[in-house]
Amino acid sequence: MYNLKSMNIEATEKIIKKDKEERDITWEFLATVDELKKKGQLTKWIKDHDILLYEYEGEIKAISNVCRHFGGPVGFHKAKNGVFTCLWHNWQFSCKDGSCITHPSLPLRQYDLKIIDGKIYINLLG
Amino acid sequence: MKNVTLTLQCEREMDCPKEVVMWNYYDHEHLVGTHYKYYNSARVLAERDDWALVYRKMKMPILPFNCSGVALQFMENNVMKTFHKDSVGFLLEMEVHFKDLPNDKSLIKVIYKINTHPFFKILEPIFQKLFQRWFHATWVEDEPMRLRRWKVHKLGFKDFNGIDYINKKNSKPEKMEVKKYEFKPPIKSYSTINTKDGIERLFKESIEVGYNDK
Repeated sequence: MYNLKSMNIEATEKIIKKDKEERDITWEFLATVDELKKKGQLTKWIKDHDILLYEYEGEIKAISNVCRHFGGPVGFHKAKNGVFTCLWHNWQFSCKDGSCITHPSLPLRQYDLKIIDGKIYINLLG
Repeated sequence: MKNVTLTLQCEREMDCPKEVVMWNYYDHEHLVGTHYKYYNSARVLAERDDWALVYRKMKMPILPFNCSGVALQFMENNVMKTFHKDSVGFLLEMEVHFKDLPNDKSLIKVIYKINTHPFFKILEPIFQKLFQRWFHATWVEDEPMRLRRWKVHKLGFKDFNGIDYINKKNSKPEKMEVKKYEFKPPIKSYSTINTKDGIERLFKESIEVGYNDK
């Protein structure tokens, strides 16, 4: 006899484990802290994600570099007064959290980061 | 005396379908964004389907002053025509011919023409030099825009939405169907360009971090 309840728990645990493994392997090296400090802001494509990495008020942050309007490069210009201006059509985004000033319903996706030994890693699913 | 036509033809290949280039040429709003070094302002005065009447103000290379004028831009199959009347009084005709090449490439031919008094024939080399510079200056700024637009399209980008797997924090689908890029004017806009004020460039100087799309 199979216990359905225990089967469900087992299946759920498996899914959680797989999900956790998947999430663990989504940490990708992005840049070194030194590299970022030197440039203050940089963009990089990693596995078909275009990432905008920058430092804002002493904190290292990463948001999507793909403007949700027409796909323009949000980080083409260096940020001014805490605001990114997309090159193509001047849509503006806050450095604080990637929120869209031009059209508030279209914020940029934020990414989780971790820093180990001066290296910045990004979670593409986080 | 019969008028003469000053002419210049420029031709270049693009690594993307012609429809992406059409989109770029027809996008009035990118003038003060992508070409912020040259265009001060742009305002769509009227627009219906595949034609638009646009006022724009810019500073061309070589010329030491700003030019402004009204341009009527429209599509005729695979040709985009623009009649640009500037503040000096010249009527510039610009034709952009779009042709598909194999492997998602395209051939773009731009013809600039000014029909004018025969006296100006001696100035044709200057006209050609000026517009060759203009063609080059705008091409180097438009080329990465077109390539990026094509790249994000292949990743499933949708206008006013973005890329789904990025927005939803999902894994990128293993197989992605690349839909044919379609160009259907007019280009959808939420900006203030269609108001009487149009849009002005936000700044004329910037520290450029640049594209990193390779």
